[in-house]
Amino acid sequence: MAEPAPRAMRLVVNGRAVNVDAHPMARLLDVLRVDLGLTGTKEGCGEGECGACSVLINGELVNSCLTPVLQADGAAITTIEGVAGADATLSAVQQAFIDHGGAQCGICTPGMIIAATSLLARHPHPTEAEVRNGLSGNLCRCTGYMRIFEAVMKAAAR
Amino acid sequence: MHLASVVDVEATPEGHVRVLAASTEIGQGTNTIFAQIIADTLGIEYDQVEIAQPDTANVPNSGPTVASRTAMVVGKLVETAALTLKQTLIDAGVLDAGGTGDAFTRACRTYVATHGPLRARSTYSPPPGVQWDDEAYRGDAYGAYAWAVYVAAVSVDTATWETRIDDFVALQEIGRVLHPVLAAGQIEGGVAQAIGYALLEEVVWRDGRMANGQMTNYIMPTSMDLPPIRVFFEERPYVHGPFGAKGIGELPMDGVAPAIANAIAHATGAPVSKIPITPESLMDTIASAEDAHG
Repeated sequence: MAEPAPRAMRLVVNGRAVNVDAHPMARLLDVLRVDLGLTGTKEGCGEGECGACSVLINGELVNSCLTPVLQADGAAITTIEGVAGADATLSAVQQAFIDHGGAQCGICTPGMIIAATSLLARHPHPTEAEVRNGLSGNLCRCTGYMRIFEAVMKAAAR
Repeated sequence: MHLASVVDVEATPEGHVRVLAASTEIGQGTNTIFAQIIADTLGIEYDQVEIAQPDTANVPNSGPTVASRTAMVVGKLVETAALTLKQTLIDAGVLDAGGTGDAFTRACRTYVATHGPLRARSTYSPPPGVQWDDEAYRGDAYGAYAWAVYVAAVSVDTATWETRIDDFVALQEIGRVLHPVLAAGQIEGGVAQAIGYALLEEVVWRDGRMANGQMTNYIMPTSMDLPPIRVFFEERPYVHGPFGAKGIGELPMDGVAPAIANAIAHATGAPVSKIPITPESLMDTIASAEDAHG
């Protein structure tokens, strides 16, 4: 079977429409990082296990390492670069991570913030159990998660 | 001595102080504590401290960022290099003995403008009473140990043999705590990693190679797998550490798995002697113990 040809697609990334020429099975992760230069989204495992590649597609939390870019054609994508306000004001979640020591090496942090943002959009006042559940797709090795939970709870309370 | 760690501290033309050390910031807070040590030693603002990129083309060999040594060993060199820098300014007549803050900044600027670059160096030597033979690798590798107590409360499901950790307390004595949030972060992360070590992280070998080297089949703790991790510090300043600090990095990996193993043994009577204590291995341990006594 012949290699699929690159295909013109149109994505709306962080509110901006972009044209992308890529193989339809190219990982959305690679299109974001390499084609669009948005390196905030990280590759932790490439297997959909660690959540470092988390983005929102039409508001839904996905692992971009498992998403063929064709699936994102015509969709609205939010990456970590799109979480802060237009004037670079940090979101409540971002500020809470700073205030409560929620990041150490930072490799999980973009995915954690995307997942937390998604959680709070669905559960504006989560219990700690709901926070743990909402972040269960995001692995962290440095922090032990405690300050991440605290940050998300505090962001929700604001 | 094979490794005598070195740290340089220099005054910049703007009157800032720059630390040149090989210690690497990986999120654990190296840059933060070095800046704190300089700021408190010299009485200047935290924001007046710069940390040079740890590229050994430009910085001296402070040794590797390992072995729980950054705060206690390299941090002490940062402190003593800063004091040497200050003494040079005093000896040059541009700073009073008690000079801090703006006076210190002015003194740096004046000195550099008049005499050129100003760099002070501190080289490691063992604290008094610490004997280390680098040839025979015998003696006291460190001037002091950090100490900890770990307590686990667990529940074991006697149908599935899964262990749930209900509560975890970690008490540490690491000398003076330089930065409470960073120090607690080290313990929380280390305890979480050690919970994985105790219960989840099995390395499967096949023909001398790791067979489960993927996140899919090497299981590490998620947000769902951890108890509240309650961290406490008891401060007993260590006389040879910077502001009394000792090391912390490896400490939380030491006692957590034993605490969990002891708690499981206490709960079930099983003679636990191997980690990870997976449900299937616990079931086997208990079955073997029952066979032995049956």
